[in-house]
Amino acid sequence: MANPLRAEVVRLYKNLLYLGREYPKGSDYFRDRLRSAFTKNKLVQDPAQIQEMIARGEYVARELEALYYLRKYRAMKKRYYEE
Amino acid sequence: MRVAEPLTRLLPRVARRELQSPLSVMAARVLTQCLRSLSRPSLRLCSGSPAVRAAVGPAAALHRPVSFAASSRRTRWLGQSPVSSVGVLCRQYGDLPPLTLETIKGRVMYVLKLYDKINPERLVTSSHFMKDLGLDSLDQVEIIMAMEDEFGFEIPDAEAEKLMTPEEIVQYIADKKDVYE
Repeated sequence: MANPLRAEVVRLYKNLLYLGREYPKGSDYFRDRLRSAFTKNKLVQDPAQIQEMIARGEYVARELEALYYLRKYRAMKKRYYEE
Repeated sequence: MRVAEPLTRLLPRVARRELQSPLSVMAARVLTQCLRSLSRPSLRLCSGSPAVRAAVGPAAALHRPVSFAASSRRTRWLGQSPVSSVGVLCRQYGDLPPLTLETIKGRVMYVLKLYDKINPERLVTSSHFMKDLGLDSLDQVEIIMAMEDEFGFEIPDAEAEKLMTPEEIVQYIADKKDVYE
């Protein structure tokens, strides 16, 4: 538990959980997937490997944000233009 | 005795004095209507008697808007016209019942009971999330997020990871919200 990267991981988890609330398939679906992804790697001890996974998590977070932007843009476009 | 004083000026003063009178609202309203139907000069004459004061008092109190600002306004009330009669049981927007340790505890336990991985029968205020309830640290993060939603403020990660029992959460929220009793 003394791993210095623990706080990072917890922060990432919380961040992703926040972002997942608006997920198109529902927040429960997202939460289950997120949890299984985190528990799958819970035994990893190597700091470099953990860093790599955190980077992947950040990437997913950015992708989610992009997804929401895209969804918002599409919704707005649909309202302003007929086709 | 202020017999010559107009009734409109006298009413609020009487209202202030008779605010605690437990006369029923309906009776008071009926009485004011009776009084209004009387002619004005005679009303002025009899308004000095204590019985009429007692009767008129709560009716005038009805017109007082009930809000937190009203008590401070009470002193400058003389001479103003009654504003509304609907405010008696009205709550202000954004008004919540005041937080006490009991209500915080009740809300915390309610949120925890709704969390699907906690068995509500095994939950007591002193139970440790990991040792007693068998949750992991990810569950604890989710619980803290649920508390943030419930109480409407953010709990920093450094402090959130120390909160491992319901009573610690209650204590933390009470500290943040300045609740001491």
